[in-house]
Amino acid sequence: MIRYSLIRTLWVFIILATVLSINFILLKNAPQLPPPTEEGRSIYYSRQVSDGFMTVRIERDPDLVREARESRPTFLNRLPRNSDFFHEGDQIRIFEPVPLIQQYFSWVNNIVTEWNWGVSTWVQPNVEVFEILMSRIPVTIRLNLVALFFYIPIGFALGILAALRKNTLVDNFISVFVMVMISLPSFVIMTFLVLIFAFGLGWLPTSFPSSDVTGAVQYTALVLPVLGLSFGAIASLTRTSRAELTEVLTSEFLLLARTKGLSQTQAVLRHALRNSMVPLVPGIIGSFVGLLSGSVIIELIYAIPGTGRIFIRAMTQNQYDFNLILAITAFYTVVGLFAILLVDLSYGFVDPRIRMGARK
Amino acid sequence: MQIHQKLDKVDKSSFEFVQRDHKIYDKKFETKPIGYFKDAMIRFTKNKTNVIASIILFTLIMLSIFIPIFTSRNYTTLEPRLTLLPPRIPIVERFGIFDGTRIIPGQEVDISTIDPETGIGLPFNTNFPHEFIIPGSVTNESVPCTSTQESCLGGTVRITLREQSLTTSYRTPTLLNFTLSQATPHILTIDLNDISETATLNVLMRRDFVSDYEVIASITEADVHTFNLVDLLGESTFLSTEMRLQVVSTEIAGFVEFNSIDIRQQGAEDPQHRFEGRNLALFPLVSGAGASRITRSDGQLLLSTFRFDPYARALGPWRRPTFSAEEFYALMEANEATCGIVPTNPVGHNFPEGCPVLEVRGRTESVIVGGIERYSYDLTLDFATFRGFDTTPFFFFGTTNGGRDLFALTWVALRTSLLIGVVASAINISIGVVYGAISGYYGGKVDILMERFSEIIARIPFLVVLAIMVAYFGPGITTLIVVLIVSGWIGVASVTRTQFYRFKGREYVLASRTLGAKDSRLIFRHILPNGIGTIITASVLMIPLVIFTESTLSFLGFGIGHGQSFSIGPFEFSGVSIGVLLADGREEMLNNPHLTYFPAIIISILMITFNMFGNALRDAFNPSLRGSE
Repeated sequence: MIRYSLIRTLWVFIILATVLSINFILLKNAPQLPPPTEEGRSIYYSRQVSDGFMTVRIERDPDLVREARESRPTFLNRLPRNSDFFHEGDQIRIFEPVPLIQQYFSWVNNIVTEWNWGVSTWVQPNVEVFEILMSRIPVTIRLNLVALFFYIPIGFALGILAALRKNTLVDNFISVFVMVMISLPSFVIMTFLVLIFAFGLGWLPTSFPSSDVTGAVQYTALVLPVLGLSFGAIASLTRTSRAELTEVLTSEFLLLARTKGLSQTQAVLRHALRNSMVPLVPGIIGSFVGLLSGSVIIELIYAIPGTGRIFIRAMTQNQYDFNLILAITAFYTVVGLFAILLVDLSYGFVDPRIRMGARK
Repeated sequence: MQIHQKLDKVDKSSFEFVQRDHKIYDKKFETKPIGYFKDAMIRFTKNKTNVIASIILFTLIMLSIFIPIFTSRNYTTLEPRLTLLPPRIPIVERFGIFDGTRIIPGQEVDISTIDPETGIGLPFNTNFPHEFIIPGSVTNESVPCTSTQESCLGGTVRITLREQSLTTSYRTPTLLNFTLSQATPHILTIDLNDISETATLNVLMRRDFVSDYEVIASITEADVHTFNLVDLLGESTFLSTEMRLQVVSTEIAGFVEFNSIDIRQQGAEDPQHRFEGRNLALFPLVSGAGASRITRSDGQLLLSTFRFDPYARALGPWRRPTFSAEEFYALMEANEATCGIVPTNPVGHNFPEGCPVLEVRGRTESVIVGGIERYSYDLTLDFATFRGFDTTPFFFFGTTNGGRDLFALTWVALRTSLLIGVVASAINISIGVVYGAISGYYGGKVDILMERFSEIIARIPFLVVLAIMVAYFGPGITTLIVVLIVSGWIGVASVTRTQFYRFKGREYVLASRTLGAKDSRLIFRHILPNGIGTIITASVLMIPLVIFTESTLSFLGFGIGHGQSFSIGPFEFSGVSIGVLLADGREEMLNNPHLTYFPAIIISILMITFNMFGNALRDAFNPSLRGSE
């Protein structure tokens, strides 16, 4: 068990490091987009120098200075890619990026030693990206947790109901619901929900209120996004729990339990349900990742100020905010990988065959 | 038990051996053998729901191929005149739904249009010309208002003294002119709704141009007060004076509340001056500011709700202030039969009925460009004839913001989505099958390495791939396809690998190998065909998944979009997919929900039937389910 956990944990860290490194190198190799204003750029480059991504030098050669003054694009072409320069009287200050591999080590060093993720360039110029991210995470996490605690009981209840009433009207009805909800893209579901309950009937707010709003709106505003996130999850949980429970219900140990004299209810509660949980518990932990990436769309439609929406903003065409994208994708990667790690470990805890150290 | 008893009673002599005297080993089978695929087909057709779903799916695919080819409606170019028309469907329209009209609620009523008989007024907003409002559909309702809007009617006007001021004066905005005579005296009626206990309202006027304003009446009670102006001011041939309203109070926050002020000649039907509601509330202060305020309450705003016919408006007269002469004469030539001979100067010419031009109002100055004289006409076109609509067209799903037919566009979008789904799935399946085959066939170290690699790829969040691709290529078809295939093949690869593990140790593989078959022959001729059912199922279920992701990405704006097009081989495809249509519809969700719900319904049906089809196929190809239904 310990060996298994250690290997899984180690493996997660290897994947994490690989993904983040690939991400950093590829994004930093793309044409960089410094902040829009001259002042912002100047601050940004100084920060880049102190973070070890760029070097600065001052050029006093009058010929070069004149050339730079005459045509900015031609002069920039002579410098390495992603360089920039500023005029300062009769000299120019040139910022040049260091080689990519050196940038990579600076980046790792910054994060490991100072937890420094760099500054934003476009979304909020020269603000620490980690601060921006931290202001957004609570909203997203709260939304996803509420959705998680909303969908699990409903999904289970529907699945158990369908399995116990297999091939009846109830089961067929639930099957149709599951099929429809699994097939519909979440943005379609969310659009319809907003169209009907917010615009049509006017029961709920049409978009998420800003964070300083207090009172009932705070809670009613959660209803639609939670529903929009949950429908797909409910459907898939219903489907898997129905399938698992159906399989267990036809197994021989349940027949044994019945022959021992247990009533149907006792047999289902004591034996069938507990055994069908084994593959379901890890699945639920894993579903958190699905919810999280699904919430990007919900956040966009419902104007929720969460990480998904800031990601979309950082990805606005020709205004790419690479440091912010790096931090947000790192957040999603970390949450995703650790959820998978939890899944793997929970298999160990839930399934006695793995817990006891049995070989495959 | 009953059957057993019955059989017990059958006489033994009635049994006979079927093949006792026949040799059957060289006989042909009377029935055809049922192969793997035939067996699957039989089981597939057994489930009627799935057959229906498959038929619907097939119909959708056919429609998406043929409707864009055969439709006569425009779905490519911009047609601003036809923008945002509501859905109009034949037959259904007779029941009052999807009849091309829309209900416009709560438009402010233009007071001058109120019909004296019915008391119903038409809207003020010029976006809704009255001739296109469906007669009989107009209803009016009053809502409270306190604003200074012109159409806000009635209500009371209150002058309130502010803290620490005990008097204030307001005046009429203009001078009032009278000819006062005893024969037909002017009557001033002041209708007070309320007045505070200690307050007094003084009415001031002046007798001639030079004299000062003097108090002609004082009121301390709420009532309708009538004054004869001739008695108060004396006879005069021409009197020009303001009327001033002075409020005096002995305590703070004294107020006077008016219903109306009315001046008319005795016995006259129409008042000479009448102040109430808005025009009373707009009385200026005589001097100073801040001592008091004048407010309005209980006003009624008349709103009209009506059914509007945007089709009629769109197809009706269309004024073009600059219609180039070249275009005009080309149009005349094309419609010579209906328009007849056009005089050299068409301004003011009477065009016969059926001609696309209704009227030419004028022409601009000529400009010589490149030696050619250019000018344009200011004319009014009949849009229906101009664009060749003989009857009001049926736009089944309405039109988009750009005036394109949403019905045709939806099928075009569906075609694009399906195509991307099929292409991306084909790439995924090819990669997945080859990768899984190699990994499963060779096993051992190769397998372990390839498995680790695919695990890393599978663990890259799709947002990371998206970010990298967008940074390099921008949103578009390249980004879309790459994001779809980066981790899309892994599912197929693992299915294929499992199948290879299952079949590679079988005797027929060993036999073939001993006969000297190469690895590629073993893989593609012996093992792969045996696992094909499972692989096909995984592949079919991949198409809806890919369409799902594609529409989501396009909805977020990272996929394809308007104005983009891509070509696969000789075919050119527009950049409109269902996700793009839904993203457009999101901006118009409140006023034009038809832009959202038609594409949404179509994609929902597609996804549901595709999934049902895929699941049915999976069940059919799974021999272990044989006989279970």
